[in-house]
Amino acid sequence: MSNYLSVTDEEKKQMLESIGVKTADELFADINKDLWLRKLNMPDGKSQQEVMEIMSDLAAKNKVYRSIMRGAGAYWHYTPSAVKNLAGRSEFVTGYTPYQAELSQGVLQSIFEYQSMICQLTGMDVSNASVFSGATAAAEGILMCEGQRKKVLVPDNINPETTAVIKTYLSRKGMEIIPLPVVDGLVNYDALRGMVNQEIACIYFEQPNYFGLIEDAEEIVRIVHDCGGKVVTGCNPLSLALLKSPGECGADIAVGDAGCFGLPLSFGGPYIGFMACTAKEMRRLPGRIVGETLDKNGKRAYVLTLQAREQHIRREKASSNICTNQAHCALTAGIYLAAMGPNGLKEVSTSCTSMAHYAAEEMVKVGATLKYSEIQNGDVIKGEFFHEFVTVHKGKAAKIIERLAKDDILAGLELDKNEILWCFTEMVKKEDVDAAIEAVRRG
Amino acid sequence: MAKLMFTKTHEWILVDGQKGKIGLSDYAQKQLGDLVFIELPALGAKVAAGRAFMNVESVKAVSELNCPATGFVLAVNNDLEAAPEKVNQDPMGAWIVEIEFESLCDCLMSEDDYKKLIG
Amino acid sequence: METIFEKSKKGKRCSSIKPLRVPTHTIKNKYTRGDLNLPEVAEIDLVRHYTALSNRAFGVDTGFYPLGSCTMKYNPKLNDEAANLPGFTQIHPSQEVETVQGCMEAMYMLSEQLMEITGMDGISLQPSSGAHGEYLGLLLIDAYHKSRKQTGRTKILIPDSAHGTNPASAAMAGFEVVVVPSNADKGVDIDALKALVGNDTAALMLTNPTTLGLFEKNIKEIGKIVHDAGGLLYYDGANLNAIMGIARPGDMGFDVIHLNIHKTFSTPHGGGGPGSGPVGVKTALFPFLPNPSIIKTKRSEFEFKFLESSIGKIGAYYGNFGVYIKALAYILTLGGDGLKESSVMAVTNANYLKKGIADLYPTEKGRHCMHEFVVSLEDLKAKTGVSAMDIAKAMIDRGMHPPTMYFPLIVHEALMIEPTETESKDTLDNAIKVLRELYELALSNPQALKNAPATTVISRPDEALAARQPKVRG
Repeated sequence: MSNYLSVTDEEKKQMLESIGVKTADELFADINKDLWLRKLNMPDGKSQQEVMEIMSDLAAKNKVYRSIMRGAGAYWHYTPSAVKNLAGRSEFVTGYTPYQAELSQGVLQSIFEYQSMICQLTGMDVSNASVFSGATAAAEGILMCEGQRKKVLVPDNINPETTAVIKTYLSRKGMEIIPLPVVDGLVNYDALRGMVNQEIACIYFEQPNYFGLIEDAEEIVRIVHDCGGKVVTGCNPLSLALLKSPGECGADIAVGDAGCFGLPLSFGGPYIGFMACTAKEMRRLPGRIVGETLDKNGKRAYVLTLQAREQHIRREKASSNICTNQAHCALTAGIYLAAMGPNGLKEVSTSCTSMAHYAAEEMVKVGATLKYSEIQNGDVIKGEFFHEFVTVHKGKAAKIIERLAKDDILAGLELDKNEILWCFTEMVKKEDVDAAIEAVRRG
Repeated sequence: MAKLMFTKTHEWILVDGQKGKIGLSDYAQKQLGDLVFIELPALGAKVAAGRAFMNVESVKAVSELNCPATGFVLAVNNDLEAAPEKVNQDPMGAWIVEIEFESLCDCLMSEDDYKKLIG
Repeated sequence: METIFEKSKKGKRCSSIKPLRVPTHTIKNKYTRGDLNLPEVAEIDLVRHYTALSNRAFGVDTGFYPLGSCTMKYNPKLNDEAANLPGFTQIHPSQEVETVQGCMEAMYMLSEQLMEITGMDGISLQPSSGAHGEYLGLLLIDAYHKSRKQTGRTKILIPDSAHGTNPASAAMAGFEVVVVPSNADKGVDIDALKALVGNDTAALMLTNPTTLGLFEKNIKEIGKIVHDAGGLLYYDGANLNAIMGIARPGDMGFDVIHLNIHKTFSTPHGGGGPGSGPVGVKTALFPFLPNPSIIKTKRSEFEFKFLESSIGKIGAYYGNFGVYIKALAYILTLGGDGLKESSVMAVTNANYLKKGIADLYPTEKGRHCMHEFVVSLEDLKAKTGVSAMDIAKAMIDRGMHPPTMYFPLIVHEALMIEPTETESKDTLDNAIKVLRELYELALSNPQALKNAPATTVISRPDEALAARQPKVRG
């Protein structure tokens, strides 16, 4: 067996003597005898080598695809080597939440920079230091809007994982979800106009939405703000390299998952939920926030700030219960964004949308139809999308998915018997896109 | 002639006719430490004697202020939004809200009694 | 130090991706954004910047980190390597179930082991932190009562010594919080508890060992009082590191528990996350566990199971999967015997350190502490003006991370010290020496402590300024 202890038997004996007990068991005298466990019913420890073998064997039971054309909330992207290397520095990895500012300026500054980057991307004034995932960010974003108004408009074209989490979070807060009709995959603006009133706390919508479509966010903001409601936009932050930011569109709160910035797919997590808002909403923002200040000698310093919002001070009246967040993922996302820079990020984003449009257009040529979009001679005349789109096939979707799996390619997600939600990123090779097109042709 | 009274939860009220300016006692500001934010109530908001009606925040604490009278908010000291430290610097001078009241709290005491209370 | 934005120069580039081999698609202007101001740096600038930041950070790998309640034990490198295997990192969460059997088996194994360690009947790995786990646990408790038509159980009892997340989670889960006072022993005041429980009690939340680092001796009686009133007993697992393989919350009468994988099971904290906060339940609460759960079929295959009676989901996909792999590797390495030995050493180290300073730093007398202990510097402060914070800051200058300060709230001028099992006797001896010297210094030259730390890149920051004039972005 291996362990990670660092006290010799002789030292342990000395320590027990110093404490004044004969055996370590005496230290547990407060535990009622009838609660004492005889032995855990599990194997004894193993060597590190054996454990690595077991873990490798487990990993080998999973199927690693050569190419991934599935997104639906989890996205396959390139991570520069420097990102993994720097994020892996053990001072970052093995530290706790930066409570002691003097010892933690590096972590605090990295979060401050991450916050700055999220503000740049979203066009918002304030960002927190992260929450668990895009789904919990959406739920917490909606909870920020709770007040006298209790109704929340949510269209049916958002990520179902997010819908599920929102439902759970709102159910206990007396907030009610009002489903908002969708037409051609997009928010139905006419229906929205008819549904807004003085009871609407906010709308939550996604940009791009679950089907990859780009919403008319400015129109949504206009309609909802007219009734005094707030706007929470869930966005894929990579798309913000190209798309109008929530801030430019007038949203109050922007949330989403930044797992696309340097974090591996890793079966769904850890990713990172980001939350940003206008200055007006700052004191309702949950979670840690790092601020800049001065030290005793007038030198620039970073600290956890606006802590009176948080659970350790406000307890049951806190804006959220969040304590541990996804700090290391925020660090990774920050390094990724700095590594890519504005031009690199635009290139990644352009690559994704271009690959997706190429694939969509070619799939149509070989017999598929686009469920929500129309493309003519490379021009999207209806239903503009980012890097995901839904195809409808004459044959079974499962057959196409199976065919590509044999070729070591993870096809899009089956949404219905003959519908597939595809995602194309900068990772996918053109040959593999062509293989997918061929699989669609064969049906 | 205005009359100054205190609550046992360390608010003061300076009563002038049916109006009263409310602030935090010197003792309270010392206990709280550096104030960083004062969440001012809305103009016209109804307030009730002995009930919490607003919060003040220091770096490591949040405290509710209890209203010394029943009525509604007539004015708020907007200067405090940008400079909450004024309450630390001059607690008796830096009024926080002014209310028009129907009735005062039974719990109010004179300055002398308050000084005895805090020792 | 300059920020990465201040180091930016227009036209610098770091990383690049492969050229596009399909026609470039241009999204219509109506949808596109204005400027994007992100840093522009070369790779060497990037590397030096983040290396410099890491040099301004402190982790368990840097030095002694006795941060009470946080269990800052050593984070084994094996665990990280296992979690970084491509067979885990390159798996899409929506892959077909037959292609993710390894992930599911790993989650199943971890769940089984956690059930055995805690004495619970079922586990959900979905929560991403301790607070997230509390939130789930309370939702389960609510669902349980409501399924039994007990709709009036709206109150959660929480000791005054509890973590702030307990009341905050209860409020988020829609409950009203009732505070239970501590007795002279800093345990739950039994009489007060008796007076507070009733048919509106949903549950009592408790850590054991308590936040004072003491084992709650009356745990069985407390459980009986709550159960007799129809309430449930909730276990905050923040302090499980004291009792692995020795006693189990399930056997103590707890109905719902959460664990902090990132504390007890050695996964790194990463400067504040990602963590993982699995929730364990007794059989009666099975039907409400979040969807999906993983079951093992007769053919030893793994399937997702969705229950109609479930509370739904509290996080995307399956939670922080990468963290599970690290915890699983840790538990396999230590095994049942190693886990127990770890707890024994955690408690031994804490008592040894306590013994070394207790004559100067007052703490609970007459009892052994568990994995941590709380000292009060109230007397020292009255005598010298030196506060818990001053001592903590001075520890920084002597190469160690300070303990948790000013918690639990029921102890004045508190320092909460948790050395963990992975520290050596030499490290503890040094900590004892340092703390004793600091005490002497407080008496002889208190001002010297007021100016600490002096060896760090900044001196004490002005927190009031930060909160008064928030500058939260560059």
